[in-house]
Amino acid sequence: MSTSSLITDGHDDRPSNIDATAKFAGEGRTVASSGLKLFMWILAAAAALGIVGIIVRFIDDGGREEWGYYAATLAFMLTMFGGAPMIAIAPTIAKANWARPAARIGSLASIATAITALLLIPLMFKLPALTEFSDVLGDDVRRRSIWFDSPIYAPHFWNPLILATLAVVGLAMAYVMAIPDFAAIRDHGTGWKQRWARNLARGFHGRPQQWEWLMMRIGITGALYFAMLLYVNFTFSIDLAVSLVPGWKDAIFPFYHTLGSFQAGLSFTILGIWAARRWGGVSKYVGHEQMWSLGKLLLATTLLWFYFFYSSFIVFWYGRSQADSSTIELLVSGPYVYLFAAVFLFAFIAPWWVMIWNKVRDSVWGPPIAAVLVLFGLFMDRVRIYVASWSATPDDLELATTGILEKMPPTQWPDVFDVFIMAGLPALGLLGILLATRLVPVISLWEIQQSRLITKPVRYLRTRVLLVGKPD
Amino acid sequence: MAASNSVLGLYDNPDAGANAMDGLQSAGFALGTFDVLTGTPYPEGAFGEHVPQHRLFRFPFFGALVGLTLAILFTAGTQLAYPVVTGGKPILAVFAMLIIAYELTMLGAVVATVVGIIFESRLPNLNLGAYDARITEGYIGVVVECEGDRVEDAREVLQTAGALEIKTA
Repeated sequence: MSTSSLITDGHDDRPSNIDATAKFAGEGRTVASSGLKLFMWILAAAAALGIVGIIVRFIDDGGREEWGYYAATLAFMLTMFGGAPMIAIAPTIAKANWARPAARIGSLASIATAITALLLIPLMFKLPALTEFSDVLGDDVRRRSIWFDSPIYAPHFWNPLILATLAVVGLAMAYVMAIPDFAAIRDHGTGWKQRWARNLARGFHGRPQQWEWLMMRIGITGALYFAMLLYVNFTFSIDLAVSLVPGWKDAIFPFYHTLGSFQAGLSFTILGIWAARRWGGVSKYVGHEQMWSLGKLLLATTLLWFYFFYSSFIVFWYGRSQADSSTIELLVSGPYVYLFAAVFLFAFIAPWWVMIWNKVRDSVWGPPIAAVLVLFGLFMDRVRIYVASWSATPDDLELATTGILEKMPPTQWPDVFDVFIMAGLPALGLLGILLATRLVPVISLWEIQQSRLITKPVRYLRTRVLLVGKPD
Repeated sequence: MAASNSVLGLYDNPDAGANAMDGLQSAGFALGTFDVLTGTPYPEGAFGEHVPQHRLFRFPFFGALVGLTLAILFTAGTQLAYPVVTGGKPILAVFAMLIIAYELTMLGAVVATVVGIIFESRLPNLNLGAYDARITEGYIGVVVECEGDRVEDAREVLQTAGALEIKTA
């Protein structure tokens, strides 16, 4: 048997690096199509309605339970936009070549995380103090929280600060990853974009030392972002959900929340890639390989969603204390039972069913369908959790004696201003990302250039494959 | 004396760029006075370039040591200052101290790494020398920093290696 390689040269129809530079950094790169302009105006109008919704909510404040949809919307934004940069981090650390065209879309989501941090500030004025029942229970008695002896407004101060830190780290990572592309726009762009790029590129000439430091900074900011994402999900989910419900004690819930963030971040990136390919004219640079790889990760996180939900649920199910039963009733079988059914269907059953089929997973159109289902399901999940939590105002005496939610709150239906908020705030985040793409290429130019240098289309017997070298 | 001239050779072929780097070394230009400019990262040493040495790896070790020391001082000092027997355990309970020691050790390592990156980056080099915009299109630039009397030598070496264009700044 012959021991020589079965690999022979294949036809290379990929765009050259000069073509890629002209497309992503050259003149006319960022000219917005009329369709994109219209879409951005729609997003701006929705965002304006969202702001109106917040103002009306403040003017006509009917109590804590009316802020549940606002909290749920912010939780969803953290879930989706906060998780997306992990797509720029994890595969890069693992030296996955396929992830290069997807990294930029994921990293730009940090802009929306920064908007989320700003939007969290108004909500903090409506989050009850830790001693909200002190008039009945006495000054020293607090609701259960992670802030044992801290000032009574500790969560109000720390939560926006922690979320802002996540946004700053994410923006720093996105900026560092974009420096070589700014250098390319400086060299080949025109007008205001070239002026901005000249300042942002900061004298990047592509010396080996500059590349080395760039890689180190990406690594450091990426590691910090991962740590901060876990931390933010922990504090946010505990302070804005768990601690508001008497009797809800759940150590798994923050990880369930974080896993949802990975799942939604993947979905957002898949849809971003699909949209860039469909309308952004980048089909030669991104497509099947990215969808297939991200789709496999989406299937894995979808299965993990069930694992974490079930791990959490079964503790309450077997616990069977009055507090455990109340928690299950509030979040699963009680006033939000139909919502829970929708969550289970859209966050788990439907995307799982879609993605188990090889032909669907191994296609350009399959993963986006699953991504839409997942995002809808996780949005419903955040509504289920946060609306229920903010409506679970306990009876004071009941809390004083049992710490159990005995009287189940009714289903809190959204009014028109809640709908404004739910549609407008994510639209504001998305608008921020699209505005950033007017300057920053939606596909990382230097990464696809590097990919072209370390890969080679070849023939393997009668099929075509991509030979990948991983020197660094 | 500081180098006063910057000479750039531009190549459309990485092999030619690597040959230029070899040629400069053979012509007696000191390591560190010539460098390669690329629009995308190449593997370390691909052009036979001078690989700058850094000491970043020392920073996390130093930070971790400082953090561990502080943790031991903090936990031991607190327990000795307020000696309360808890659960029949010794005043200096190692397993309880380990948690704080771990946290502060990691914190020290992380903070020192960030400081190390800033320190090792040094001040930005405002004199960036000769450059060509085609480098971000995939062309290879080889830049030499040299005295005025060696500019012609540098140009000759770069030209011999097949430079498409030579610039001086």
